[in-house]
Amino acid sequence: MNKLVGGDGRTHIESRLMRESLQNKQVLSGTESDRDVQIFPDVSMVSIGGQSIFDRGKDAILPLVAELAEVKKRHKMVIGVGGGTRVRHTMSVAMDLGLPTGGIAQLVGAMEELNAILLNALLAPHGSMPMQRDHFWDLPLYFDAGITPIAISVPPFHFWEPPPLEGAVPMHGSDFGLFQMAEVLGFKQIIFVKDQDGLYDRDPALHADAKKYGRVTLEELIAHPPKENILDEELYRTWAEAKNIKRIVIVNGLKQGELTKALDGEDVGTVITKGGAR
Amino acid sequence: MSERRTIESTLAHSTLTGSNASHDYRPVAVMPDVRVVKIGGQSIMDRGRAALFPILDEIIEARKRGIQVVVLVGGGTRARHIYAIASELEMPTGVIATLGKYIPMQNARMVQMLLAKHGGLYILPDDFEKLPLYLQLGCVPVMSGMPPFGYWEKREEGSRIPPHRTDAGVFLSCEFLGARRAIFIKDEDGLYTDDPKKTPSATHIPRITAKELRERNLPDVVVERVVVDYLPRARWCKELQIVNGLKPGQVLAALEGKDVGTIISA
Repeated sequence: MNKLVGGDGRTHIESRLMRESLQNKQVLSGTESDRDVQIFPDVSMVSIGGQSIFDRGKDAILPLVAELAEVKKRHKMVIGVGGGTRVRHTMSVAMDLGLPTGGIAQLVGAMEELNAILLNALLAPHGSMPMQRDHFWDLPLYFDAGITPIAISVPPFHFWEPPPLEGAVPMHGSDFGLFQMAEVLGFKQIIFVKDQDGLYDRDPALHADAKKYGRVTLEELIAHPPKENILDEELYRTWAEAKNIKRIVIVNGLKQGELTKALDGEDVGTVITKGGAR
Repeated sequence: MSERRTIESTLAHSTLTGSNASHDYRPVAVMPDVRVVKIGGQSIMDRGRAALFPILDEIIEARKRGIQVVVLVGGGTRARHIYAIASELEMPTGVIATLGKYIPMQNARMVQMLLAKHGGLYILPDDFEKLPLYLQLGCVPVMSGMPPFGYWEKREEGSRIPPHRTDAGVFLSCEFLGARRAIFIKDEDGLYTDDPKKTPSATHIPRITAKELRERNLPDVVVERVVVDYLPRARWCKELQIVNGLKPGQVLAALEGKDVGTIISA
């Protein structure tokens, strides 16, 4: 039984952290181990780009929806979407107005949500539903019923977005939000669907000699970052400290079948691994 | 294949992956006159009536003197208890941060019940947009200090405990509102060279910069480390003030803008 402990004017419940300062490094390290529980290890996170896919309209969206409708029969996945050019426009106006970073963070999620509604309207006949913010514990129900959830991709930092390392643009966008959801739930992998064949050492649209990474490790990318990156820097920083996610794949959503191959576990596009994982 | 249809703007061709936005940014303060004050969980709430009532009296007095106060409340020993059990179960930090929301919420509700007859109002994180009304009506908004990150709380190296807890919530609230100083009511006079409850020889530090504090690399600090890290890059909240709520007059003095306790500056 737990005991209540007094004697110093405060009433404590007996526990290993009782009376301890949670700023003390030694106390903090006592909570650590080499693993986190993996809650849903057979689920993949699929992130569909805002600028790269949705901003192209029908020609890019409909074939991808057809592929998702087919592949969802065989794979458990959660889908998230980016907001694309409307996010950039929102931020550009908000910064001109001098709104605080937390205020900008509060605004941008609405633009991603528009793409989520569009995607759901197209995928619903094949079994999809928008998932409320953190209603993760409904996931087993969704999958048993053959429903693919569409998640909110921007994390709920809102007014509390921490001051960025530089500038005023919030650091925690949709790439980070979807990564963190997959990480905390212990998903199998994350697949980013973009309009390039993978990750390049520089922007292939501008540089003909840009080199594509086939397989690369997170450690290599952190040591030698590409000049231009199609994923948020914050994602790499967070992944470096994370325990669960070992594999992130970047595929070209304009090429039919690439996403399916990635879900089937094939090495397509760029495969980024961490800690010696396959 | 159709092209990307882009809305022209200063950020239209930015990847937003870095901090590459070279933009003429002149920030505006949202509500710069508001005082955001935290009532500590372990340090105050767990002491009960003896510690809390005199502090609430001083907050009510400040409000009567026309000072706009928003109260945030910490967690304390029940938070530590659930953190200890969840850590044993190897729960991810995001799950622990989600569990950590509930206790400051209970404490905030307790404070609201006590302040109700003086205009105490329990508010949720998204209610910042209604603060102008509440404050004009003379209310004292009370909320949990825990930031709403929940499952999205990142892991920190070598620990499972969420790095952003109720101190971070107070600082980040100040930063959004454009308040210059975040006030933390604890049961100590501020910052010491070590935990004064365990090391009686520890000495008091009245004023220190975030940089000096980090360089000292103390085994223990009185506020969450992330707050000390954020302070130098904050736009508005440039100072943290830690005051002893067990000493009469300290809270009111701090709310009136006086330098009492310890001040950590950017």
